[in-house]
Amino acid sequence: MNLNLVIIVSVAFAIAAYLVSKVNDKAGAFMTVAGSMFALVTVFLLRNSIGSEISFLYFNFNLTVTGWYFSLVMLTAYSMTAFFNPFWMKKLIYPAGYNFLYLLSMAGTLGVFFAKDFITLFVFWETVVWSSAFIIQMGKSRQAAYVYYVISAIGSMATLFAIMFAYGTTGTFVINEAFKGLAGYPGRAIVIFITFIAAGMAKIGIFPFHVWLPSAHGSAPHTFSPVLSGGLVKMGAFVALLSVTAFPAYEIFKDMASFRGIPLPIYFMMALGAISIVAGTLMAIKQEDAKKLLAYSSVANGGYILIGLLMLDQVGFAGGMMHIVNHAVASAAAFLSIAAVAYRTGTTKMSEMGGMIHRMPVTYLVYLIAIISMAGIPPMGGFVSKWLIFQGLADKGLIFLATTAFFGSIGSFLYVFRPLSAVFLGQTFTRDLEKKEVGFFMMFPMLILTLLSLLTGVFPNIFLRVVVEIQSAFGMLPVTLAENTIVTSNGFLDAFRVFIVFGFGFAIAFVLFVIRRKSRKVELMDTFTSAEFIHTRELLHYSHSFYAPFERLYEKAPDTMKLYHKAAVKINELGNMAESAFFGIRPARTVLLVMGMVLIVIIAGGVL
Amino acid sequence: MMINPVLLIAIPLGLAFIAVVFKKLQGWILAIGVAANAFLVFFVEKGETAIGGFKLPFAISLVLDDFSFIGVILVNVLTLAAVAVAFRKTEKYVPVILAGLAGLNGMVLTGDMFNLFVFMEITAISAYILSSEGRKPEQSFNYLVIGSIGSVLYLLGLILIYGQTGTLNMSLMAEKSALIGQAAMVLPLVLIFAGIAVEAKLLPMSGWVRGVLGNSNALTGVMFASVYSSAALMVFGRVFSQVLIPGTTAGVIIIVIALLTFAAGQVSAFRSKSLRQVLLYSSIAQSGLAAALFATGFVFPAVLVIINNAAGKMIMFSTAGNLEEKYGTDDYVGLGGAFVRNMPAGVAFTIAALSLTGLPLVFGFYAKLNVLAAYLNQGTFFVPAVVLAGTIIEGAYFIRILIKLWAPGKEGEWADADQSVGEKKIFNPAGTVVVILVTLLIILSGFLPDSVGKLVAPGGGLLGDEGPSISLTMEKGGDQ
Amino acid sequence: MIKFASLLLIIIGLYGILSTRNVIKILVGINVMEIGINVFIIAMGFVNDGAAPILSVDNPVNVLKFVDPVAQALVLTSIVIGLGITALGLVFARKIHKKYGTYDLSETGGES
Repeated sequence: MNLNLVIIVSVAFAIAAYLVSKVNDKAGAFMTVAGSMFALVTVFLLRNSIGSEISFLYFNFNLTVTGWYFSLVMLTAYSMTAFFNPFWMKKLIYPAGYNFLYLLSMAGTLGVFFAKDFITLFVFWETVVWSSAFIIQMGKSRQAAYVYYVISAIGSMATLFAIMFAYGTTGTFVINEAFKGLAGYPGRAIVIFITFIAAGMAKIGIFPFHVWLPSAHGSAPHTFSPVLSGGLVKMGAFVALLSVTAFPAYEIFKDMASFRGIPLPIYFMMALGAISIVAGTLMAIKQEDAKKLLAYSSVANGGYILIGLLMLDQVGFAGGMMHIVNHAVASAAAFLSIAAVAYRTGTTKMSEMGGMIHRMPVTYLVYLIAIISMAGIPPMGGFVSKWLIFQGLADKGLIFLATTAFFGSIGSFLYVFRPLSAVFLGQTFTRDLEKKEVGFFMMFPMLILTLLSLLTGVFPNIFLRVVVEIQSAFGMLPVTLAENTIVTSNGFLDAFRVFIVFGFGFAIAFVLFVIRRKSRKVELMDTFTSAEFIHTRELLHYSHSFYAPFERLYEKAPDTMKLYHKAAVKINELGNMAESAFFGIRPARTVLLVMGMVLIVIIAGGVL
Repeated sequence: MMINPVLLIAIPLGLAFIAVVFKKLQGWILAIGVAANAFLVFFVEKGETAIGGFKLPFAISLVLDDFSFIGVILVNVLTLAAVAVAFRKTEKYVPVILAGLAGLNGMVLTGDMFNLFVFMEITAISAYILSSEGRKPEQSFNYLVIGSIGSVLYLLGLILIYGQTGTLNMSLMAEKSALIGQAAMVLPLVLIFAGIAVEAKLLPMSGWVRGVLGNSNALTGVMFASVYSSAALMVFGRVFSQVLIPGTTAGVIIIVIALLTFAAGQVSAFRSKSLRQVLLYSSIAQSGLAAALFATGFVFPAVLVIINNAAGKMIMFSTAGNLEEKYGTDDYVGLGGAFVRNMPAGVAFTIAALSLTGLPLVFGFYAKLNVLAAYLNQGTFFVPAVVLAGTIIEGAYFIRILIKLWAPGKEGEWADADQSVGEKKIFNPAGTVVVILVTLLIILSGFLPDSVGKLVAPGGGLLGDEGPSISLTMEKGGDQ
Repeated sequence: MIKFASLLLIIIGLYGILSTRNVIKILVGINVMEIGINVFIIAMGFVNDGAAPILSVDNPVNVLKFVDPVAQALVLTSIVIGLGITALGLVFARKIHKKYGTYDLSETGGES
């Protein structure tokens, strides 16, 4: 079993899924489950082939540890989400097309992570972009798919420019060699660095490219949002990683101005990541729709990942890599639980839901654990990765970045709590009183993801050992791991012991809960109104305007989307101008242009 | 069995006259003529053939070298495809199409500058007549006026060069013009450029394109945007890469105008609301790009761009023309969901759009890579930046159209097939077959780009281009 | 001298095309332009004191000085092409008249 076969079989599965879906959509959706599970298992087994290279037509692949790590994360997101596919087929306009594109984009991501040269990387990258764009359009917003594609294109074209420019200078496309020769051209190196990382930034959703994320993740079909948020943004993280490793940024820029040991171009990118954390967090707090809220949280978490990876040091980098796993798992789980609720209630607007804990307790649990991880609270995995990133930032003395990172962490608790209380806690709406929990087939992936969250929190070293391999491969000093502890210069973390302590706390609280008197349930409308009739239940809802005082602080914040709108309007105007000036119907204008041209030429020719 | 290249011109011309006489057999005559030409292309004798028994270099000659071979294949095969897709629409125009085919072959094959003028005029007249199908006679008239101005300018420039070099034969003129100083050549060069610019859709002579192509149907749109366009650009390439190589002044003027055409075309396409308008502005932009490449001496990428554009526009214009005919509008907002029950047409249109934007897995990517590599190898990075910016805009407006045509539905609601504009079939069975074939070719050559590269490279090499800058399948491990 | 006169004719013809909106007048302008270019070509080919490039009673053998025959051949072809264009232009003019009832382009549909 080699990589070629995995990709080819995945594409074959895609085509098969399409054909089967034409007959019976649900069966086609089951094929996506089969296809993604197949890919997951085979890539996992490829562990032993790490270090080998393989080619197909003009694509060249290189099985690296990094690629293996990233693709496993991606495939987990794809395969777990695939379990939800069969239940959403009837909502889709092109069920067959969806299944086909689902698996095609998955095959594309495999090609990206294992690419040996930039042509392969770019080909598969773009395949993922357009296949996911065509899936997003099937959801709630066509505008979202359009914005997604355009911003992605801006990033991709910048990266293509960087790749070709590097090719012109160094003469090769091979990822590990293409940029090495740039050390002698500092000016070019900066341009190439900035344009190269652009695609990664656009994909992760870093400010100012973040505008597509909320609408795309928010309006995509419910079964694709987890993949987008948990998986595809990690492709961007991969490019960001390449931009500091394959493009040996720290070496090339070592003679440049730097801030506390970090060269300015890299620091600039990290600052953009910090702004994303703040922007994402603040925007998430405002949201009324659960999926959009989670999408903004992906923006914030993307910032964390970017900062961690760009630090390229012992601790921070490990934190960034670990956060990739944690965020992917937690985000996928959160999106899936919202999708499960949407499956039963038909909506994702938080003001229309409530008290689902009574009807869907397992889903509640999944969501709870996911958000604990996202907020960075032990004993879940998010804590470990954020702890490592904080360590790295603090050790280097990067005050501004560290402050935003802490702010983001606190703020994240605010916004993850809101859907929990809005959707699951509080009083149940009457129409939802009869809703049941989702079936086993949908619960299975959610439970797996929850277990993974726990695993990364309790036994993080399983994953960190792979990260150590990656760090050694890139020549970094790897993070120090002892038996079950992580040792840093500021202290050590034994995650298992933390879990035990938490277990104790939980047990004590549970005992207290059991022996004390229960609270009395009060209906939503059972409230003092001094004989007025209440018509708007939504305003009485527990979570309505939940954070109003805090939101008022930044009500007037500028909207980046407006900037893009203005740019589009300007291009439109430019087009109007061009059309009337150059393509007008009257021959007079064009001929006068020619005469003018000829005159200039005669004069210039005479002068020369 | 090698035949004389003159037959490629003589057969359609002869059949055109026969078609006038035998009106009832017109359909058959057209089919036979176009098919025969497309078939015979592969059996023509290579080299310079003198006509009329005169001796070179005083005779008028037809040249079939590697470069014109590509042109001749393009012209004949594309005409066959265009006629096959829109056969029913050719009814009143059989002699015109055949005569035009003769003119096009002549344009690409000829080795004499005045002969080129004659064939350009024949082609132009057939184009004027074809454009009159659009029921807007003032547009055709406008086309005629601009075309006449262009031909007068061309003649002026040609005579000036004839006065300097004393010959009209292309290869001889190429030798002699290299000996004359650049300053003397600037004016005639610019005039000849203006003449060819009409058909090649370059600024400032492109005022006719909006009216004519904006009102075209499935047949005329394809003919103009694929067939005539490719021929005109191949002629542009021949003249400006081989015969009259522009010096610095003229070269800069031509390149600036070509790039301006590219940029203006892309932004104009972005603001268009009508499907055919978007396509025609995209064609103008691609012509500008190809012209700029030719003027810089990058023949190989230019030919790739021409092939890519011809194949893609063939599919897209026939789809657009048919949509306009079936639904009465080509405002793409009003055509939402037209692809819902029309998978083959939709997929073909999508692949064509992706190829024109230069997305990977299809042929356009190979073309784009070579365009960028040619400039970046040289160290220029302003032009690639412009090309990439144009690509972003092109991708934006094509994706906008694709999203509209595939996924109808109100914002905020799931895409709903019931909101689509209708379920009429876009292509008849024959048309579907042709369109699918072209699509498959685009996809196949996207996976095996070097097979096309090897075909095109000798032509490029002939005109001074060292060949493919990017050799994809031969790159194991990414080395050149 | 004649060269400048013919260039003047071309410019007059061009001015005629640009300054009027009447279809027929535009066609006349096109014709004037074409006459201009044709005369220019002949003038370019002219050699002072050159003989006509035909073997005749006056010149039974090859003469050293003769007017360029290629230019005159070019002109013949150009005249015929001009004829074709004018004919086609008149057909379009008739079509415009049939559709809009006028020969004045400013009263037709306008842009596209």
